[in-house]
Parts: sequence; C-alpha cells; structure tokens
Amino acid sequence: MIVFMCKRLGFMVVTMIVVSTLLFLLLEIDAENVAVGVLGPYSNDEQRRLWLEAHGYFEPLWLRYGTWLMKFASGDFGQSIRFNVPVAEVLWPRLWNTAILGFWTFALMIPLSLALGILAGMREGSKLDRSISVTSVTTTSIPEFASAVFLSAIFVFWLKILPGTSGMSSGFEFKQLILPVMVLVIYDFGYVARMTRASMAEVMTQPYIRTAVLKGLPYRQVILRHALRNALIAPFTVIMLQINWLLSGVIVVEFFFAYKGFGALLLEASLNGDIFLIEACAMVAVFVAVATQTIADVGYTYLNPRIRFA
Amino acid sequence: MADKSKTKIHPAVPELANQLAKGDIDRREFLRTATLLGVSASAAYAMAGGVTGSQFVPSAQAATPKKGGNLRCSMQVQRMDDPATYEWTQMSNTSRPFLEYLTITGTDNVTRPYLCERWEASDDLKTWTLHMRKGVKWSNGDAFDAEDAAFNFRRWLDPKTGSSNIGLFGSMVTETDTGKKDKGGNPIKSKSMTPGAVEVVDKHTLRLNLNRPELAMPENLYNYPTAIVHRRFEEEGGNISKNPVGTGPFELKEFKVGEKAVLAKRNPKDYWGDEVYLDQITYVDHGDDPAAGLAALASGQVELLYETFVEQLEVVQGIPGTQLFEAVTAQTGVARMQIDKKPFDDIRVRQAVTLCQDHQRLLDIAYRGKGAPAEDHHVAPTHPEYAKLPAQKQDYARAKKLLADAGHPNGIDLKLDCKKTPSWEPALAQALSEMCKPAGIRIQINVMPDAQYWKTWDKTPFGFTAWTHRPLGVMVLNLGYRSGVPWNESHYNNPAFDSALDVASATLDVEERRKQMAKVEKILQDDAVIAQPLWRSVFAAGTERVRGYELHPTIYHQLGKVWLA
Repeated sequence: MIVFMCKRLGFMVVTMIVVSTLLFLLLEIDAENVAVGVLGPYSNDEQRRLWLEAHGYFEPLWLRYGTWLMKFASGDFGQSIRFNVPVAEVLWPRLWNTAILGFWTFALMIPLSLALGILAGMREGSKLDRSISVTSVTTTSIPEFASAVFLSAIFVFWLKILPGTSGMSSGFEFKQLILPVMVLVIYDFGYVARMTRASMAEVMTQPYIRTAVLKGLPYRQVILRHALRNALIAPFTVIMLQINWLLSGVIVVEFFFAYKGFGALLLEASLNGDIFLIEACAMVAVFVAVATQTIADVGYTYLNPRIRFA
Repeated sequence: MADKSKTKIHPAVPELANQLAKGDIDRREFLRTATLLGVSASAAYAMAGGVTGSQFVPSAQAATPKKGGNLRCSMQVQRMDDPATYEWTQMSNTSRPFLEYLTITGTDNVTRPYLCERWEASDDLKTWTLHMRKGVKWSNGDAFDAEDAAFNFRRWLDPKTGSSNIGLFGSMVTETDTGKKDKGGNPIKSKSMTPGAVEVVDKHTLRLNLNRPELAMPENLYNYPTAIVHRRFEEEGGNISKNPVGTGPFELKEFKVGEKAVLAKRNPKDYWGDEVYLDQITYVDHGDDPAAGLAALASGQVELLYETFVEQLEVVQGIPGTQLFEAVTAQTGVARMQIDKKPFDDIRVRQAVTLCQDHQRLLDIAYRGKGAPAEDHHVAPTHPEYAKLPAQKQDYARAKKLLADAGHPNGIDLKLDCKKTPSWEPALAQALSEMCKPAGIRIQINVMPDAQYWKTWDKTPFGFTAWTHRPLGVMVLNLGYRSGVPWNESHYNNPAFDSALDVASATLDVEERRKQMAKVEKILQDDAVIAQPLWRSVFAAGTERVRGYELHPTIYHQLGKVWLA
C-alpha cells in the first residue's frame, strides 16, 4: 500500500512539474509581453526595461524558471495585475467561495443522483427506470448557460422570488446560492445518476444477487446489503472526478450569476491577461485534478478487493 | 457653485453675445464658450437670457429631494491606484465621489468652475490663469490650494507617471532627445513638461503658460484622468485606494477590486459645496456579463446600472418599475487604418474602404438607428465646432476603380481586429465587412477578447476601436490624430492637418472656428484614415426610485444631486 501511495504521489508531483514548465514557457518566455501586461500598453521602453531588470527577467531562462518554481512552491504567486494585490489574497477567498458552492451542489447532487441511479438500476427496463433515464439525459444535455437563463427568467424576472445575482456584496446570503446551485445540480445529477444506474444494473445481473434473491432474502436486504456496496464503487470514482469538473464547470455559472468564485476569477484573469493570476489559477486547477484523481485511485483500490495491492 | 467674484471679461465675450443676438450661434454654444472664457455659469445663463429675452435655466427638480439612502450601482470595480493613469471611465467613477476636478462639464456639455472657482484666458489663449476655490478642505484636514493643483500638473506631464494626460495637454509639453537610440538606431524622444509651463502665482492662483493657443483648457481639466490628488500623494504611497484623501463630499469606506466600492457621506460641515442627498454610494461589480447587471436590477439588488446596451433596451422596458436614462453623445467606433502599414500605406485602398459605407444604413443595422451617422472625420454634430461637410455617398464603382489603380483589380483581402464586447462593436464591424463586399473588399473579422485587443489596439494595421465622448471635437483630434501623440493609433502624420488643427484650436470666433474646423475635418476625411460609421447614444437603466440623475454623455457619474424616493 505504501509503495502504491508513493507511486501515486510521485506521479502527482511529476505531472505538476511538467504542467508548470509548460505554463512558464507559454506565459513567461516573452519577457517583453510580461512587462507590457504589468505596466500597461502606454508604458515606455525605459519603464519596461527597468521593470524587467528589477524582476530578474534578464537572467537565463532555467534560472528564472527555478526561481519562479521555488517562489510558487512557497506560496508566493506574484502580484495580480488586475486586482493590484498579491495573487494569494484574491485566490484563496475565491477558492473558498467556490468550495461553498461546490459543497452545496454536492450535498444535493450526490444523494439525489445516487438514489435515482439505484432506483433505476434496480429494475432495468421498468417504467421508473425509463422515466429517470429520460429525465437524466434531458437535464444533462441542457448546458449550464441555457438552464441559467431559463431559471433566471422564471425565478428572477417572472416570479421575482430569487435574487438575480449572487455577488454576496452585502455579506453571505443563502438565498443567493439557490440559483447557481440549482443550475449545477440540474446539469450534473443526470450524469452521476446514469453512471450509478449502469453500475447498479450490472451488479443486479450478477449470480450472487440471483442467489441471494432465490434463497429468499427480502429484496430490500438484497439491495442494501449485497448490491449497493459493489454498485457504488464506480460512482465513487465518477463523483471524485466531478470535483475536477466543478472547478472549471463553474466558470459559466459564476460568470452568469456574478458569483465571486474561482471560475469567475479564472475567466477574469484570462480576459485581462493577468499573467501571474492565470499561472496560479492554472496550477490550482491542475493540483485539484491530479489530487482528486489520486484520491479516486486510492479509494477505488481500497473499495475494490479484486485490484487491491496488485 | 455660484460665482460672485468680479472678473475681467474676456474681450471676445461681447462679440459672442452679439452673435447670439443675431442668431449666428445657439445658446448652448454661447454658454459653453462664455464659461470657457471665464464667465461664471450663472452669469452666462443670465446673459443668454438677457440677450434672447427668454428663460434659459437648468431643468429644475420636479419633486422635493429626500436625504439619506444607499444608491447601489452595478459597475465594474476596477483598479484604483493612481488616478493619472486611469484607462477607464469606471475607474474614475469609483473615485469621483471623493476626488474632484478643477472644472466640471455638465450633462449639457457646458463646463463650469469646480475646484477652480474662475479662470481667465489671455487674448491669444496662450496664458490661462486659474483661481483656486478658497475654503476647500482635504479629508485629512489640509487646505486645498494652488500648490495641490500645480503638483498634479507636474505629475501628469512627467513621462515617468505614464499618464495619457501628456497628450491631452500637448500645449504644455516639449519633445526632447533622450540621447538614447532604439533598436533601429533612431533617437528615442521623450515628451515632458515645458519648463515654466506651470507657475504658482500665489497661494490660490495658478498660471499655465502654453506653447500654443488652447481653447479647450477648462474642458481638458474634466477628463477622467485629471482628478486632483493631494500634494503629498506620491510621498504617501501613490495609491488612492489605500490612502483615500480627497476634497469631495464622500469618503471611501471599502474597496475591493472586482467586488465592490463603498463610499459614505462625509460630514457636510467639512465639505465646501452643497450638501449631497445620498448617505452612501455602493458600486457592485457584476463582472463582464451585462445580463448580470440587468438581473440584479430586476431583483432589486441595485438601483442603477452603469450602462445598458442597445440590445437590452426591450428587456429593460419589460421590467416594471424601471426607467431608462439616455444621452446623445459623441461616442463612436472607428475602423482605423495604419497609414504606414501595407496595404493601407496606399491612400487609394483606404479611400476604397471608406467609399463602401452607407453610414445611415450601418447605424440602422448595427445600432438600431439610435444615434447619428458619422462622416469619417471624428467631429460630431454635438460638438460645438462641428462644420457640416458635403454629404458622403456610397460609391462602389469608384471604390473598385481605386482598388484596381492601387494594384488590386481582383479585390483585396483584409483582416479587421475587433473587440468582443460590447456586442455593437463586432456587429458594426460585421456590417461594414458585408457592405464592403460588393467592391471586392473581403474583410475577415477577427473578434478578440477585450484585453487581448487592448494589447494590440495601436499596433494592428486594421482595427476597430471604440472612442468615448469628449465635449469638444478638437480634444479628440488632439488626442488621437495629431502626429506622434500616444493614442495616435492610425499613425497618422500630416503636418498640414496638425497646423490646421492648431489654428482651429486657437480661433475664438465661433463662426471663424467652424470654418477652420471644416478644413481640419476635410483633411482627415480626404486622407481616409478612418471608416467611421456612426455616433451612438448611450443608455442606463435604473429603478424609479432614482431621482435627479442625468446620464452624462461619457457616463461620468455626477451623483451630488441624486436622491432616492
């Protein structure tokens, strides 16, 4: 197990180093571009030269990369151009806001999709299964930007019962979370429900379930004791990967509802060419992707005895 | 803001009054020019009424204003550090409630005294004497005086500050050789303040000594990066959001880029002007999505939007309890061609592009007809010095011939860089592209994210750039078309144009100036530097609770008389 964990962690570190190199080369190889980004398009050559010199941009590339990586690893992401404060000062609060949004999305989406998936998978081909499947496919195929407009039209412009934006400008208000969470849940629950259904349906065809049923165990017990445990292995991985999806998937939702989260920050950084903020956001996104993948792998191995400690 | 001081009346004022009586100029033009020459706004209004025998007073408020309340406005909260380097009106709006200007241009395009209580211009318009208002206190308790104003001028005109004001006050700067050479071996020149251009006469008087006559000085003083900061601004960190010392009726309470700015009313006893009605102004940032602001307005999260785009008008009209503010402006978008880059270094190619336009149709297609057709010379009918040139006609046959003469008998392929938002910009670029097709000009539109466009706006050979409103036509021509100024995005360089502009900028007589402007406009139009389809109106939606708000053509927020019902 320890060797396995070490391997996974090693893989994680290597992936992040590779991505960081790519990021650095993409954004910082043209030092002049960085100076224009920081000092603005009206800065003169003299100002740019002084800035580049003061910030070590005349050093060899490998040394610049090394310094950049060390600073990054120690949490010094540089100064945001747009926000005019250290990147960390905007990044962590925004990430926290997205975590709040993610928490409520998952708190609703996981029970809902698991319940629906299990109900549908229990009796494959039944009326209930068909209804759930059609609903899931329909909701998942409506992109967030469409459902956001649709829900806004209903709840904001027509019924006037929910706030139209979720900027929390006068402090946290749960009401402002409802629409963004609703959009995310509607988009995502169908996918997880379909995965759970597939997994459940597969388990239900296994001989040990048939044996359990035939030996006269109550159906409820067959599902809860025997089927569920195995049926939930696949959804676990899928759910872990949804965390990764959520981090980039929230861009549309956060932009639409003016929610001050990580997705909106990433978009703002990209649109405004805020180089250091883009670097930090990209590294956080990569870290979350690799970390959730690792947790999913370790968890999967733990849950599934067949591939445990191969 | 009444000005009771006795001032020397500029010799041109009686002649102006004469022209008004004869009907040669309209009342707005009289007011504008008379106040520019140092006549107080109230005196000018009285004179205009006296001359024409009619009442001409600013519109009165319909109901009794109510004190108190928090006006929440949806607007991008951008960086607020050095006001001299502001690039956006929104930046200036967040600091406008606490940082004031030397003059103020109202929604009626008339410039009035503000921190400067009166001014005088010499007959040759090369010396301007500014008398600072007495009794103005900074929020840190210091008294405001001429040293503060002088400090600001010196900063603006120091190339190290990096302010666009250096182009605006071109009559106060001199170009010098830095002694350095660029990569191509050409000498690097730098513009900086002409020695002696700013002179502190006494504690409350400042004199500006210009290199050339300048009529628009008072109006230049109300440009968004000319907010007056305290004389110790740089010593105290050079960041106005961290050290918000101002003279205005509000003070900065909270500021977070990308989120919000909260400004609370200052003790009215400490403020020199009339007491403001609002207790608080809150700017809430809803990001780059214009729909988010509308949703916030519809659900009562804000009372006012910074701007409502033309395509949103129907939606606003469908939301009960809202009202729409409108301003006729000199805001525009120009498809400008860099005259030193191929294929635009051939004037025939540029002329062919401009000849393809039917300006009125472009206005109708891309901006729902809300505005006025433009004439490819960047002077608007709302500008007082606007001279009407003979109407331009779409002429495909001539465009084709010019292209063939320029060596493109089978037409030409061009790429036009354009910003993604607001949507009228790519729509107008697209309409222009379609309109050019019959002449064989195939324009591919390259729609770019805004930030990316602003990186290349002055470099791309063919770009579509939006320009904001400025009260005088000469202001924008001095900023954008004079040889060598920082914002000369077309690299236009025509000494004949520069000297004609000098003459127009220095001509006091309105009729004579209009004649001079006709020359300036004609040179620019004939040189086909820009294809300029339209002048657009601007809009802002608000709830019916917002009273006393008038939309400024540049969307400069003047909230001193605004109250909430």
